[in-house]
Amino acid sequence: MGLSQAEAIASLRSQRPFLSHSLRAAGRPGRRHPQPLFLVPSIILLAVFSLAAIGSSAEKQKWDGSRISPVHQIPLKDEFDQPIVPAESNPLPFSARYTCAPCHDYAVIRQGLHFAANSPALAARPGEPWVWVDERTGTQIPVSSHPWKGVWDPARLGLSDWDLTLLFGRHMPGGGAGEPGDKDMTAESRWSVSGKLEINCLGCHNASRRQNPSEWAKQILRENFRWAATAAAGLGEVGGISSRLRPTWDIFDGPNPDDSEWAVAPSVKYDRTQFDSKHRAFLDLSYKPDDARCLACHSTSAERMRKFDFEEDVHTAAGIKCVSCHGHDVTHAMVRGYEGEARDNPALPAEDFTCRACHLGSVSSRGEKIAPGRLGAPYPLHKGFPAVHFDRLACTVCHSGPMPAKEASRVRTSRANRLGIFGVADWSTALPAIQEPVYIRDGNNKLAPNRLMWPAFWGEVKDGRTTPIPPDKVLAAAGDILFPEKAATRVLAALFNVAELDGTPVLAMGASAYEMNADGGLTATPFDGENPEGRPAWAVCKDGRFAPLVPAFDPTNVDSSADPEARIQKILEALNAADGAPGKAALAYRDFLYQLIDGGLDKSERKDPAAARPLFGWLKDGKLAPFVPEAEARTIAALAGTDQTLTEAQVAEVLKALGPADHVYVSGGVIFRLSAKGTLSSETGGAAAPIAWPLAHEVRPARRALGVNGCTDCHSAGSDFFFGRVRGAGPLKTETVTTRSASSYMGLVKPYQFLFGLSFTARPAFKWFLGVCAALIGSLLLIVGLIALGRFAGLIEKRS
Amino acid sequence: MLFTLITVLAFAGVFFRQTRLHYAEANARSGKGPEAATPSGYGAWLGSHLKSAFSKAAALKSWSILADWTKDHDPSWTGWIFAGFGLSLAYLAASGFFYAIFIPRGMSGFPLLGHMGFGGLFALTLAALLLWRGRAYAPDNGEVETFERKILFWALAFFGFVLIVSALGSMLPLFVFDAQRTFIGVHRYAALGLVLTAIVFVDMTLVPSPKA
Repeated sequence: MGLSQAEAIASLRSQRPFLSHSLRAAGRPGRRHPQPLFLVPSIILLAVFSLAAIGSSAEKQKWDGSRISPVHQIPLKDEFDQPIVPAESNPLPFSARYTCAPCHDYAVIRQGLHFAANSPALAARPGEPWVWVDERTGTQIPVSSHPWKGVWDPARLGLSDWDLTLLFGRHMPGGGAGEPGDKDMTAESRWSVSGKLEINCLGCHNASRRQNPSEWAKQILRENFRWAATAAAGLGEVGGISSRLRPTWDIFDGPNPDDSEWAVAPSVKYDRTQFDSKHRAFLDLSYKPDDARCLACHSTSAERMRKFDFEEDVHTAAGIKCVSCHGHDVTHAMVRGYEGEARDNPALPAEDFTCRACHLGSVSSRGEKIAPGRLGAPYPLHKGFPAVHFDRLACTVCHSGPMPAKEASRVRTSRANRLGIFGVADWSTALPAIQEPVYIRDGNNKLAPNRLMWPAFWGEVKDGRTTPIPPDKVLAAAGDILFPEKAATRVLAALFNVAELDGTPVLAMGASAYEMNADGGLTATPFDGENPEGRPAWAVCKDGRFAPLVPAFDPTNVDSSADPEARIQKILEALNAADGAPGKAALAYRDFLYQLIDGGLDKSERKDPAAARPLFGWLKDGKLAPFVPEAEARTIAALAGTDQTLTEAQVAEVLKALGPADHVYVSGGVIFRLSAKGTLSSETGGAAAPIAWPLAHEVRPARRALGVNGCTDCHSAGSDFFFGRVRGAGPLKTETVTTRSASSYMGLVKPYQFLFGLSFTARPAFKWFLGVCAALIGSLLLIVGLIALGRFAGLIEKRS
Repeated sequence: MLFTLITVLAFAGVFFRQTRLHYAEANARSGKGPEAATPSGYGAWLGSHLKSAFSKAAALKSWSILADWTKDHDPSWTGWIFAGFGLSLAYLAASGFFYAIFIPRGMSGFPLLGHMGFGGLFALTLAALLLWRGRAYAPDNGEVETFERKILFWALAFFGFVLIVSALGSMLPLFVFDAQRTFIGVHRYAALGLVLTAIVFVDMTLVPSPKA
């Protein structure tokens, strides 16, 4: 048998790096260039072995029949197909492409569902899109390369592979957008610095508990793409941050000797205990990935649910793994498991992993009879359910997701809400607001439960078409309008530097106290301190108790005012040093104005009415302006404790700032634009329409399914199933949202469902009525039958 | 699809049989022998009769025959039972077969509500008809009705019984998934049987013998 394609390529590559080996031996990675001497025979060899490689690709994957998996005590390779020697100085991160290549065909795997953005398996039935979320601008745009209804193609939004990887790589398994072709490696991108984000085989197949999705996300954020897999697998410790390096840096440049604190080049320090003396690493791999690997990117949970209360899928509880149903072969063409999938993707290796096939049995599109009971699937009795339910409803309507309620409930998903990334900072986001269950007809014309999301974005309308404006452009136009907390955080950050305060500085407004959080924003907590005037006041919080920033004192009493005045001086010094201070900090108290002049505290009498309490502000044109202007204070108070990030006043201001073109803001199913009077007007339209995708989990058993209480679970005059509401939700705090009934999503007539539901109040009596009629008719038939028998036997004479 | 095929064939067969019988009877009345019954003759006869069947005069005549028959067989208020039975049967047959044959997703919406409502009326009037009129068709009653009509009457009652039981069965929390599926099939074929029986019964009972 000839060499496989990968072996041929490997043999060619092995001839390249003499130079780099020598450099590496000298402790300095060097640029590697193909040696002209080897180039010609390399091309010939490649051509010769390519034909043999076509057949041998399948051979490489051949299963010998054993059900055990080989122990992966294997040499790790870097992205140049060179073995990694962990003891070497500045070793490169491992590359799954070349480490796994001797046995697994990377080129085949990268066509799999998780890695190929244009996989036909995803084209037909919608899946969860990526959501481009920017909380500051109130943007939540569904993004996908697939032609699903309502999603935006990345190209239309101006998102390159680089942008996609940076935005969503945290929950990507590598490959796809993370591994662009040469033409996509534009000058603006930094692929040469970050490296490509290869498929991370270990992201799914690593059975070790050291596999850390949070580390993966952290490395993506740092643009350490080529190091992410090594760090996430716990094979080594990765330091350095690519995003801080100059764009001309590449991996051959090695560490930066001039900067060991800020622009530190990424490097990996391998955990040598995981390698043997032959530099082979033990990778604890599982053929069937554990559920935790899937859930890293595919978790969902109801908003505000306690982890303790989460009820896992009935299949999981029975010990069935995700991949038991969502399986695939080496092609990684994963079974999604919906009815009609084989029609959408004929190349699928298996098509019978649907609810129906396992539980009821079916006939495949290839004409094979599929017996029920796979993996012990129980045969459902469905006693009393008219068969029409099985023709018109997907199994998931009754068995998956939450029960229908008066209003569709909020749910968070890993990919949309950035769940499962743990660290000092809280990565998760309340937005986008995703709702479930919403019942919509699928490709089989059956109702199926869906998750639904309302897009939100700033847009420009041209020729009747609304195109989203990227968040950075909105931010540039809006300026401080979208940073209402900036005035407050500027002051709070400055006050942090006043050691004398002995507590956390807070801004008290109404019933809330706002303190600065790690993300530079404000976090609201209940305020029970003293603020009789109700206007914004500055205070210090210690052990949950609030005290004024400057305690009350008598400014006219020199003896008692010394200490407070020293404190005032420290505060004013800190405030004057604040970044972007709009003026000079000053304090008005009673009839006096305190300010710093030539480094000293100046106390002067003021003409304005006396301030009963210490009143801080910025001195501008001789007037004392509050630290937090009224409009900003209103916005902060309005948004406190909500998931929303914008107020209507902000939207109006930003629309003005965006300029004279026809600009709109879309949120909650409504399009907002400025009227001629300068006020906000609202309308509904296509750009504001929600998008939806089917949900399938968590699956509930029969005794917890919809309908377990009888027909009236759905068929009643006030049923949540038909008459529940789906209310538009988005980043804008407003009452102007689109609200639709559940039945309208089903394409059903509401009055009919009401009447039909109402008929179920008389249904028990109707059944009795039919039963009596049937008994009567049946009895008469029996009598007639007996008479006929009697006549036939000669026992009964014919009446005249 | 199978049901559609069987339905079409069954209706065509019954139509052919009944019209052929009438054609043969018409020939006999005019003194012609069986050898005079040719396909072309049958076609011409059928064409002329079909044409006249859709005339206003034919409609008025049919109504008159039906009214007379009802007066004879269901006098006074019992006529309402017969009317209710006829009306419910007409709606149930029309809505049921239309959806079964032309709408793959089956019946839904207001037609379904109507089907349920008329189904109740059908059950009630069928039971009442059997109570009031059954004795005339009893097997041991030798004088009132012919054997064929007796058979048809009780076949009609039997199919009606199956229809009611299969509808009721699908409402009761007793029967499993497969039984529910079976009920649908049974309901449809029983409906076919009932309608065909009713057609033959009406043809035999109400349609006058053709003139020579």
